[in-house]
Amino acid sequence: MTERWFPDEMPYPSASAETSGFWEAAADHRLVVQTCDDCGRTRHPPGPVCPSCRSTRAHWAELPGTGSVYTYTVVRQAFIPALSDRIPYIVVAVDLDEANGVRLVSNLVDADHSQVEIGMRVEVAWEDMGPDLSVPRFRPSTVLSVESPTRSPTQSPTVR
Amino acid sequence: MGAARRVPQMNQRGSRGRQACLAGIGETRYTKWGGIQDSSEYQLAVEAILAAVSDAGLSVEDVDGLASFAEDRNEATFLAADLGLPELRYASMSWLPGGGGACAAVMNAAMAIETGAAEVVVVYRSLCQGQFRRFGRGPGNPAQPSAPAAAPARPRVPHLRSAKSLLEAHVAFTMPFGMFSPPIAYAMVLRRHMHLFGTTEEQMGQVAVTTRAHAARNPRAVMGARPMTMDDYFESRMVSEPFRLFDCCLESDGACAVVVTTSERAADLARPTVTVLAGAQGAPRGFGHGQYSNASMPDADYASAGARGVAERLWAGAGLGPSDIDVAEIYDHFTGLVLLSLEDFGFCARGEGGPFAASGVLAWPGGSLPMNTHGGSLSEAYIHGLNHVVEGVRQMRGDSTCQVDGAETCLVTSAAGVPTSALVLARGAP
Repeated sequence: MTERWFPDEMPYPSASAETSGFWEAAADHRLVVQTCDDCGRTRHPPGPVCPSCRSTRAHWAELPGTGSVYTYTVVRQAFIPALSDRIPYIVVAVDLDEANGVRLVSNLVDADHSQVEIGMRVEVAWEDMGPDLSVPRFRPSTVLSVESPTRSPTQSPTVR
Repeated sequence: MGAARRVPQMNQRGSRGRQACLAGIGETRYTKWGGIQDSSEYQLAVEAILAAVSDAGLSVEDVDGLASFAEDRNEATFLAADLGLPELRYASMSWLPGGGGACAAVMNAAMAIETGAAEVVVVYRSLCQGQFRRFGRGPGNPAQPSAPAAAPARPRVPHLRSAKSLLEAHVAFTMPFGMFSPPIAYAMVLRRHMHLFGTTEEQMGQVAVTTRAHAARNPRAVMGARPMTMDDYFESRMVSEPFRLFDCCLESDGACAVVVTTSERAADLARPTVTVLAGAQGAPRGFGHGQYSNASMPDADYASAGARGVAERLWAGAGLGPSDIDVAEIYDHFTGLVLLSLEDFGFCARGEGGPFAASGVLAWPGGSLPMNTHGGSLSEAYIHGLNHVVEGVRQMRGDSTCQVDGAETCLVTSAAGVPTSALVLARGAP
């Protein structure tokens, strides 16, 4: 049995025809992103049509499961009673490597809340909610100072 | 003020040169969440509508349209029957969610007036969140205690369920990660803004303290008797960093409504005419439901209100710019998002919302842009921002409890961070 970071009472994902492929891959501990068959662009949350070229053909491209923290919050209020022993917890948006700008909302686990910062490297950590249901959380990267080979244009640190 | 007003775009599209005006406002009492138990939310909607019609000096017999915005439980078709409207000629609900749609609902009503589809449209919102659970029971979250006691026990082995709506399929990417409610989602937006621009907690606190001071003069304000200092702000408990409790709006019970009609009709009515000079609504490419369901939008949109396009269309429609605005009622679900709206609507440069707010410009009296003169959602009441439209009308009539001397123009905005909308109101007839 794998590690658990959150209680059983956490909401489970439910899926539509468009999103079920993501969760089916997740059950196999594979992190995937929906990718257009025609123009190759990625999109998330998954949808029925490419918002760039309007192709309806797409596949699930497997990702390395690494990325960097785009933004985060340390949650200090238990919005459901089952989390009262689990606060504070960290919610992050992860800029995924090789995903061309797709970011995933998740949690940073195996880390103290004072550790989290924008830009920190993270890697996926699967939490099995049941035999056929897993959710991707993230932990601090165990690989030191590896720069992602494909940095997405939106990762540019300067906007001004 | 000084700028010569040109005929607004909406009017140009009108079939007979009709101009929409706001002729009446109505409000019920406002209380904290769960404070109203002796009237249903639906009864309050009726009460607010009747009050607005009466304020205008009209009769319900004159009303032929009803408009609201997404997530409204109080359906216009039932209201039309129960109120006894002689003929319902127009009914609409904006798709823009929650707080994003108040100004859009008024804009939609104004378009119905200007095209001649209707003569008198009432825009309404009623919220009694104590009567309907709200947070912690979002889509895809069946585990909450609000489930009927007789419901079957949760299956021991979780499995992937079918989403019952598009929203439910989308929040499957946020709810399992403990992003249960808006403060968490928008705390992440502000954290990004702080990272990019150096925005501070004290700058956010300035919004909370300033609008609380405005509320102290407003007898309707739920928090009117609760003054707040910057120390109080910093001592309030942390909800989701960087948001403290006092960065978050109230949760309220209450209802309000505004009457939209033609300038011709308004001229014969009881109250000073307030013109809907322009309206705009929408969202940028890929924005979806905003940052609550989607973190993959471009950086320039993520750490923003998502309202730059709305602002551009609004100013073009009004023939005015930010420097022409005398008073602003800015949607304030969170202090930090007020800063982002001020940026998107062009009152300051992108990234400068914090220093702009901290400079004191938003305070009444004396500030160059008095904001949320009723106390806003942070201190008056949380009626999904339709109470901001009501306060805008008061300012243009000259009878706010924080009246801006000689105010002739008012910007009203709806929620940042979701598909949103905005209005420019003007004192007097066009």
